[in-house]
Amino acid sequence: MDPKLLEVSQVFDRFKAALARNDFDTCTNLLSQLKVMLTEFKSLPPLFEKTPNAVHELTLGRDVYEHAVILSVKMEDQDAFERDFFQLKPYYTDARELIPPSPQECPILGLNLLRLLVQNRIAEFHTELELLSPSAMENPCIQHAVELEQSFMEGAYNRVLSARQSVPHETFVYFMDLLAKTVRDEIAGCSEKAYDYLSISDARQTLLFSSDNQLLEYIKEEHPEWEIKNGFVFFQKAKESAPSKEIPSLQLINQTLSYARELERIV
Amino acid sequence: MTQDVEMKDHPTPSHSVSSAVPTTLQHLKEIALLIETGSYSKEVRRIARAVRLTIALRKKLTAPVISSFLDHSLGQGSEAYGRLSVYLPKDDEHDMEVDTATSGSQAPAKHVLPELEIYCYLLVLLYLIDQKRYDEAKACSSASIVRLKNLNRRTIDVLASRLYFYYSYSYELTGNLAEIRGNLLALHRIATLRHDELSQETLLNLLLRNYLHYNLYDQAEKLRSKAPRFEAHSNQQFSRYLFYLGKIRTIQLEYTDAKESLLQAARKAPIAARGFRIQCNKWAIIVRLLLGEIPERTIFMQKGMEKALRPYFELTNAVRIGDLELFKSVAEKFASTFNTDRTHNLIVRLRHNVIRTGLRNISISYSRISLADVAKKLRLDSSNPVADAESIVAKAIRDGAIDATLDHAKGCMLSKETGDIYSTNEPQAAFNSRIAFCLNMHNEAVRALRFPPNTHKEKESAEKRRERQQQEQELAKHIAEEDDDDF
Repeated sequence: MDPKLLEVSQVFDRFKAALARNDFDTCTNLLSQLKVMLTEFKSLPPLFEKTPNAVHELTLGRDVYEHAVILSVKMEDQDAFERDFFQLKPYYTDARELIPPSPQECPILGLNLLRLLVQNRIAEFHTELELLSPSAMENPCIQHAVELEQSFMEGAYNRVLSARQSVPHETFVYFMDLLAKTVRDEIAGCSEKAYDYLSISDARQTLLFSSDNQLLEYIKEEHPEWEIKNGFVFFQKAKESAPSKEIPSLQLINQTLSYARELERIV
Repeated sequence: MTQDVEMKDHPTPSHSVSSAVPTTLQHLKEIALLIETGSYSKEVRRIARAVRLTIALRKKLTAPVISSFLDHSLGQGSEAYGRLSVYLPKDDEHDMEVDTATSGSQAPAKHVLPELEIYCYLLVLLYLIDQKRYDEAKACSSASIVRLKNLNRRTIDVLASRLYFYYSYSYELTGNLAEIRGNLLALHRIATLRHDELSQETLLNLLLRNYLHYNLYDQAEKLRSKAPRFEAHSNQQFSRYLFYLGKIRTIQLEYTDAKESLLQAARKAPIAARGFRIQCNKWAIIVRLLLGEIPERTIFMQKGMEKALRPYFELTNAVRIGDLELFKSVAEKFASTFNTDRTHNLIVRLRHNVIRTGLRNISISYSRISLADVAKKLRLDSSNPVADAESIVAKAIRDGAIDATLDHAKGCMLSKETGDIYSTNEPQAAFNSRIAFCLNMHNEAVRALRFPPNTHKEKESAEKRRERQQQEQELAKHIAEEDDDDF
């Protein structure tokens, strides 16, 4: 075996051991070392040179970045996740013909979808979705994310929350927790518009709090305009959209003048 | 310039010339003459016409005709002849059509115009593609691209843009589009540096097509937004561009813009490009459904498209009624069609719209309805339909899809009275947007009426020109004399 390759795989073994221990400081140190070392291999993206060890090097490179992604999830660092994922992506797309597929591929793609959902980047979510093959769409990890997005768009928030119990992969839990927060804000926004008032216990249930105090704190922080009276939460909403009494004269004058100008050009 | 070029989805609209009196070879020679004059007088227009005439001859191109044309225009001894004749089958028996009298009397080392050489490449390439000899077409087109990189003449641009198109087309037919992506990008850069707008336009479209072929929407959008934009030269290329743009925007959920691009693409496409227009219509229908609009029935009844649009018609019907069950069954029934059209993911997005329409129908019909009934009517199949219905209704209210309130304690939805729309500014706004649309259309139509540059000079005959020049000279002399007098 190539000495350089051997060295990298040794460091990688230490990294994996540290990751298993959840020793994040050692992990980040080793990871930055690994990334520098990987740059020496010419067979890795973006060069894809056909060196004799190409398959080994590519597989190793992919493993390193897969673990980097998992590390970033464990450290709950979304920016690092995004960076590592984009470094990993060429291995899945451009190196598809060169190395055998990885068993981690679908969970990681699913994680990425979930991240986009949590960050409410729906356009990118769909762009990523288009890249998946029909067989990948059947994978439970991907399906999980796809169904979540659907329920989310429909407004069936109960389904989003119950999906937490059925996560297909342990790393999904972190994002599901983040998603729960997003969902709560969504529900609060919807309830504000949909209900005139709710009893405190009902509000607690709809907003998914375990105690009344949590609810009251949440209202104080996020929605100070809501009013709490006689055990009810009143959503203050000015019900405007009343028929307009006055004529928006300035706007009308502007419009009419522009019509006149255009007509003059035609005639 | 409305050259009648086929769109990719529907190759070869046949419009063969009926009269067979002047043989194909003679036609080709005339075209060659046209290219020569075009090249000497630097008139791009003539070359464009030559390309147009060639497409009309496409059906009649046979190996003997082309080989004797190559003989005639390139000369047996030239390098280009050697390179191109490899692709043509050797056949000693000359076809009846071939005019043998002129061939053979060529000077061996004749200087060949680059335009003519490139044109010969185009001819051979057309022939190879029509003969379904795709691998040879790939080799031939690659060779032509190498040659093109070294030529920088404005008169070649028209021919070059056609060659780029067939270059990409031959690779698409054999399914290795990804291979040429780097090459196309390099060509696009060269075209940009040379201010060759026609080739830029073509290459940008080819690149977008290349990316979208592999669903690389992100890359396509990045390229599109950064590539230089200018007023379109060719209508065909512009409608293609609009189509790709519409697709990208649909995927990125910018439905309003997507709808505009797709509808415009469908309108701008030539009548002969039926396949292309069907594609545009399919995407436009889905986008309109996603926007919550219901496309008119006439769209599905367009001539020659009824069958292709049938699945989308049934889909529209399901969305219009707001019936989830029907929607599901339609989606399953035509799953294979939607998969080949690659619209399956979009159809999945539509589910949400079906629910919305159903909900809107309910809120119009009932002033007060229990959430359990809503769930039953929407046929929500989940473990907790009432809670689902409640949050779905709440979201619909927030998004402004329905005007209602929820009563949690009684578990029911109360629809609000719809106000009188004419007491608001709504009609005024709608009227304004329509007027703006009409004025814009008029302005664009006026702009489209412009004439190609230098046409007025064309009408002036050589004699008149001499006369005018003489007059100008006399006038100049006169003025000069007057000047002298002053001093």
